[in-house]
Amino acid sequence: MLGYLPDSFHYYIETLLVGLLVYVVMRNRAKRQQEKLSKKLTERQKDELIAEWQPEPLVPETPQDHPVLNPKYADGKMTKEVSIDGQKYLNMASTNFLSFIGVKRIEERAKSTIFKYGVGSCGPRGFYGTVDVHLDLEKELAKFMGCEEAVLYSYGFATVSSAIPAYAKKGDVIFVDEGVNFAIQKGLQASRSRVEYFKHNDMEDLERLLLEQEQKDKKDLKKAKTVRRFIVVEGLYVNHADLCPLPKIIEFKWRFKVRVFIDESWSFGIIGKTGRGEKQLYLQKTNND
Amino acid sequence: MSRTTDSLCLDDYLSSELKKRTHILECAWNQEHDDEEEEEETREGGVVDGSDDASSTHDIYGDIGNRAPNEFEHIGRFTTFQVYIAWFALFLFAHIREYVTRFGFVKDLSNKENKSMKDFVPLFSDFEAFYQRNCYIKVRDVFERPICSVPGATVDLVDRVSHDGNWTYEYPGTRTNVINVGSYNYLGFAQSAGPCADQSAASIDREGLSCCTTVHERGRSVSQAKLEKLVAEFLGVDDAICFSMGFATNSMNAPCLVDKHSLIISDKYNHASLILGCRLSGASTKVFEHNDMESLERILRDAIAYGNPKTHRPYKKILIIVEGIYSMEGSICNLPGIIALKKKYNAYLYLDEAHSIGAMGKTGKGVVEYWGCDPKDVDILMGTFTKSFGAAGGYIAGSKRTVDHLRVASPTGYYSSPMSPPIAQQIYTSMSIIMGRDGTNDGALRIERLARNSHYFRMKLKQMGFIVYGSNDSPVVPMLIYFPTMCGFYGREMLARNIGCVVVSFPATHMTEGRVRFCISAAHTKEQLDYVLATVCELGSLSRSKFSRRSHLYKNLQIEW
Repeated sequence: MLGYLPDSFHYYIETLLVGLLVYVVMRNRAKRQQEKLSKKLTERQKDELIAEWQPEPLVPETPQDHPVLNPKYADGKMTKEVSIDGQKYLNMASTNFLSFIGVKRIEERAKSTIFKYGVGSCGPRGFYGTVDVHLDLEKELAKFMGCEEAVLYSYGFATVSSAIPAYAKKGDVIFVDEGVNFAIQKGLQASRSRVEYFKHNDMEDLERLLLEQEQKDKKDLKKAKTVRRFIVVEGLYVNHADLCPLPKIIEFKWRFKVRVFIDESWSFGIIGKTGRGEKQLYLQKTNND
Repeated sequence: MSRTTDSLCLDDYLSSELKKRTHILECAWNQEHDDEEEEEETREGGVVDGSDDASSTHDIYGDIGNRAPNEFEHIGRFTTFQVYIAWFALFLFAHIREYVTRFGFVKDLSNKENKSMKDFVPLFSDFEAFYQRNCYIKVRDVFERPICSVPGATVDLVDRVSHDGNWTYEYPGTRTNVINVGSYNYLGFAQSAGPCADQSAASIDREGLSCCTTVHERGRSVSQAKLEKLVAEFLGVDDAICFSMGFATNSMNAPCLVDKHSLIISDKYNHASLILGCRLSGASTKVFEHNDMESLERILRDAIAYGNPKTHRPYKKILIIVEGIYSMEGSICNLPGIIALKKKYNAYLYLDEAHSIGAMGKTGKGVVEYWGCDPKDVDILMGTFTKSFGAAGGYIAGSKRTVDHLRVASPTGYYSSPMSPPIAQQIYTSMSIIMGRDGTNDGALRIERLARNSHYFRMKLKQMGFIVYGSNDSPVVPMLIYFPTMCGFYGREMLARNIGCVVVSFPATHMTEGRVRFCISAAHTKEQLDYVLATVCELGSLSRSKFSRRSHLYKNLQIEW
């Protein structure tokens, strides 16, 4: 039908179409730019907004009768007895479980250490802050716990909260008991991993979560190879005063190929025949200083 | 101290550089300063006490209004290109090595996981492990050197040898005494004898080694309470609270101050503890260019004008987080500029004086005193005791309201133990010495010595033709060597010449900015510094790492100690 039209005719139509396309694109872009400009504030508008802005105070007012602000100081050492305002009390508050406070032999060693090394190490571990005492203690700890190696931290609270993000990264999965302490929670937050809570000491709930994860992994085998899985528990729960069922957790570890973190801040040195805590089975231990 | 007429052109040049970098600071500061001077003049004309005021604008660093600028000399593109080539070669050989090891031609010595764990997902990502296995391990011997004495002006290193390419070490039991330009012992309080050591040992008899409880339970020891009072007095603020670890002071307390409705504006080179604190707080975070007031102002304006882009609501509060001295750059923050901006935009200021407290200022009160600012203008003064005071721990000081809130809300109060009494005593004694409470001028002498040492060391390095970052008054002296391979060279050769220094490269710095960092101490003698300088000069010629193109400016400069 179009046979009698000149051959060059389709060139005109194509040029027209291309022109239309360019027009539409340009118009959209101009519109978007205009919108962007209308959203952008001028310096003067900004000044007005800045003058209007009233920030909240940095911190809220604290009631002055808060018990924390009115502490009672204990004089002297915190042994089994403690004296407050000149009166003697039986000490049931501190965690001096093995009663090492005030042992002369330890104190003398501490003093001789000060006279040899000074008080502070004046540097991080990497830059001349590692003292030979640290290396000896690490070796001794590893031997005591029957592990390959151990690492020391200077602050008990920071140990677990920096150890968890050291291993668990974004995209990993961590299964955590609901009753874990605050330091662990901070560590979980810092790790940016996906956190799955199971009911406190409820192994069936943990199994359910692990099975769910297994199902997920089966669907996406490629991803499953890169997602690290961890279980984080405490040896002795400070908030609940009960022990974790470690044998069951170790069973899960091998069954589901999940790595186990156990925080033995409260059980280390206290539970077990020789004070080695609940039988430890994994390379990472977190000990309170 | 050593500004002679020869250096006039230098001063001009530097002040123009400063203006370029710190536009607002200059305006804000010079204006205020001019006013002050006028006042002084009028007063001097009339009454007698003018001399007192005149001396207060002058201190060991020179004139308060005319501080040394932060310098960041850039090298040419060609050198940067060469550094990338060095990295390329390093990675190329690392890859070759990796393959050779994988196919079993070379024995793999790296730490392996237990065989029974082979079905588990590997603990480390490929690149991390690859970098550790093939790059870091080559120079592992220049890091983590164990010491076996007090880290004073000199320190004993435990000798170690490795027969398997730094995978394992053997300790033959000998030791080497080296000049210590690596520890943060700014005021030389790392001592195993003298009043600090004596008194902290005595406090063990009095209070024991630990309280074995958290701060809120029976824990806040008498020594810590005493210390908190002294810190507040030292800094000239209402109240202070102390914590037993410096890192946790930042990472645990920043979340008490801001929440998800707030904005944190943080300097590009802020320390990891501050970054962790920002992350844990859940607040939005924006980063401004290092010490760049224009960048900071732009971010502040936009943040207030546009509000939170996620919720389209204005931010409830804005917290600017900066450090006093940046530990990797050696630069000093533009405190007057930041305070001016903070006041203009109603933001809050968090100043981390980890490196500067004790080390800067006429009486050791940190950069606040160095700049002649009012400590009450800084909302949160934070610092650590690990460095200048030769102990451990950190503090936060400010108004009573702020500190009360932290006392109640800080998680460290509920969950961590208070300072060990001997550590608290060490800080108490060293701080008393700085304040001159011991009846001597030992503290003042230490501060002056540190200022002289730092200035002398920095100027000498520059004269030799090295690129040194930061301000001339800062005791942290980063000397740029750029090449990652040079780190091993400097670390080893300095040790062979009995000097212990710190070398840093990627990932602690930018890939192309490897550096040697010297930390100057008041305990160093001039002879020790001269020896270090001579050694560095020799190594610099050997390795051709004198990159500076400005050394002619310093050529005729008389540098006095």
